[in-house]
Amino acid sequence: MTGFIIRRLLSISVTFIIVSILIFTMMHAIPGGPFDGGEMPLPPAVREKMMAQFGLDQPVWVQYLKYMSGVIRLDFGVPFQSPGETMFSLLADAWLPSLVLGGLGVLIGAPLGILLGIAAALHRNTWIDYLASAVATIGLTVPVFVTSMLLILIFAVWLNWFPASGWGEPINWVLPITAYATIPMATYARYTRSAMLDTLNKPFVTVLRAKGLTENKIIYGHVLRNSAIPMVTVFLPMFIGTATGSIFVEAMFRVPGLGSYFVSSIRTRDYPLEMALMLMLTVMFCVAYLISDVAYALLNPRIRYGDRKG
Amino acid sequence: MRLVEITDLTVSFPQADGVVQAVRGASFHVDEGESVGIVGESGSGKSVTCMAALRLLRQPPAKIAAKVMRLDGIDMLAADRKTLSGVRGRVAAMVFQDPMTAFDPVYTIGAQIVETIRAHREVSKADARREAEGLLAKVEIRTPAAVLDSYPHQLSGGMMQRAMIAMALSCQPRILIADEPTTALDVTVQAQILQLIKGLQDELGMGLVMVTHDLGVIAETVDRVVVMYGGRVMEEAPVAAIFDEAKHPYTRALMASMPGQVGGRRRLTEIPGSSPNPADPPMGCPFHPRCSEADARCGHEIPPVVVTGEASRAACWRLT
Repeated sequence: MTGFIIRRLLSISVTFIIVSILIFTMMHAIPGGPFDGGEMPLPPAVREKMMAQFGLDQPVWVQYLKYMSGVIRLDFGVPFQSPGETMFSLLADAWLPSLVLGGLGVLIGAPLGILLGIAAALHRNTWIDYLASAVATIGLTVPVFVTSMLLILIFAVWLNWFPASGWGEPINWVLPITAYATIPMATYARYTRSAMLDTLNKPFVTVLRAKGLTENKIIYGHVLRNSAIPMVTVFLPMFIGTATGSIFVEAMFRVPGLGSYFVSSIRTRDYPLEMALMLMLTVMFCVAYLISDVAYALLNPRIRYGDRKG
Repeated sequence: MRLVEITDLTVSFPQADGVVQAVRGASFHVDEGESVGIVGESGSGKSVTCMAALRLLRQPPAKIAAKVMRLDGIDMLAADRKTLSGVRGRVAAMVFQDPMTAFDPVYTIGAQIVETIRAHREVSKADARREAEGLLAKVEIRTPAAVLDSYPHQLSGGMMQRAMIAMALSCQPRILIADEPTTALDVTVQAQILQLIKGLQDELGMGLVMVTHDLGVIAETVDRVVVMYGGRVMEEAPVAAIFDEAKHPYTRALMASMPGQVGGRRRLTEIPGSSPNPADPPMGCPFHPRCSEADARCGHEIPPVVVTGEASRAACWRLT
């Protein structure tokens, strides 16, 4: 296992470098720059000076190398829009709301979805299955900003139970987390159902029945564990996906999270901020995949990554 | 005491566009210590019959009906969930065709045998493990302890089939149902597994139901043969009578199509045509479209069961 993790860390570094090159190039390929346009265009001379000051007059590959040499020292550059701050101080306050929203959303939505999926698979082709599948399909197809709007309309405007926006008190969290939780719930309901059905159709399940095991032992001792193998591989990456997935929810409920920075950094061509956010996401995804691969190995004895005894 | 008693079993699967009739009125029995072979081509209903006997088919969609369906005296048609899990593995155990897919891939062989033992008997895990080791030795596995700790993917097909037999025997069942137990194995291993099953059956005095399409398997392992075709029993007779003086035209055709008869270079005869479509079975005798001796009546009326010997019967108009 140690060998596997080391090999995986090496390949993560390669992924990281490739992704950083791609993002950096694409970012600079978008027309315009941080000091163009706006309501009051800068005089050309000032603009030139600003460009030179931030090194933007150099070839892209030089800029890239310079930026990445900073990243190695955990220096992610100066955000163009708020040059008085460092990247860390700028994002420090935005982290928590995003984490709470995304984290609680997944922690509430995923188990609900898993339960829904299990119920649907065990009662396939009955009304329970149809109801669960309908809920999952609605959750997947209705865009989250529509869900958000409906929640605001019903629970904030009509019933006046929860505030429509803001983030100060836990009561502010209810609606955005609910809106966000529909995504992991729907995804997991569908995923669990198909993974369970897949396992239930395997020949070994018939053998377990023929041995005289009770249905409960078969489902909870064997079918769930086999179905969990494909399920863990999507769990953590999906968890990380909330960092970007909640952008709409954050916007709808005015949550002061990372989502707003993703949007504004791209709009204002704030290259260092864009890079910082994207690299952070990349690292999180890579680590999430690493952890889910390890979990996969622990659940599935057929994959023990080269080491004889796990 | 009859260990297996099945009369007029029908199994059907309703589909969107009709009904697939997998078994259409099959009857047979197995006495204590007796071994009975069920032979037939694929689609003859032989495997479905065994699955139905243990109620292993999902109902619905499957529909199972019979005048009598008893295993060791227990009415399997009326059995509730609790009775069923008590019968399965304990009264009647099953060995399946493909050992490579028969075990849960995420548990060791040992865990799965121990689990079977503990499903039926109050035994500690340590004792069950000791028993499992003994069972693996009994099925002639030379390194039982190592196999206990192996995961299914680490073993060969032959080894897994031995392990499955050991698992089936773990609760001393009265009846062993072996559904094509050698079909998925290498030819070199097939004979060993058959001898093993036969030897264990003699030693433990179990009733054996051997389902196969391979007449060679039948010749080596069973006392009595039930020949199935199109969901019906065509003929039933002691194994010697089946090989030497088969009464039913289908059984004779099946014999003629079997390679490797003593006497060497005989040209194989094939049975013209193909087995009946279970969604649209022919009227009358299911074999009549392919039968060289059929006449008009065979195509209209289902042939009666004719007693052809002390333990023999056949369903054919020719014998009336």
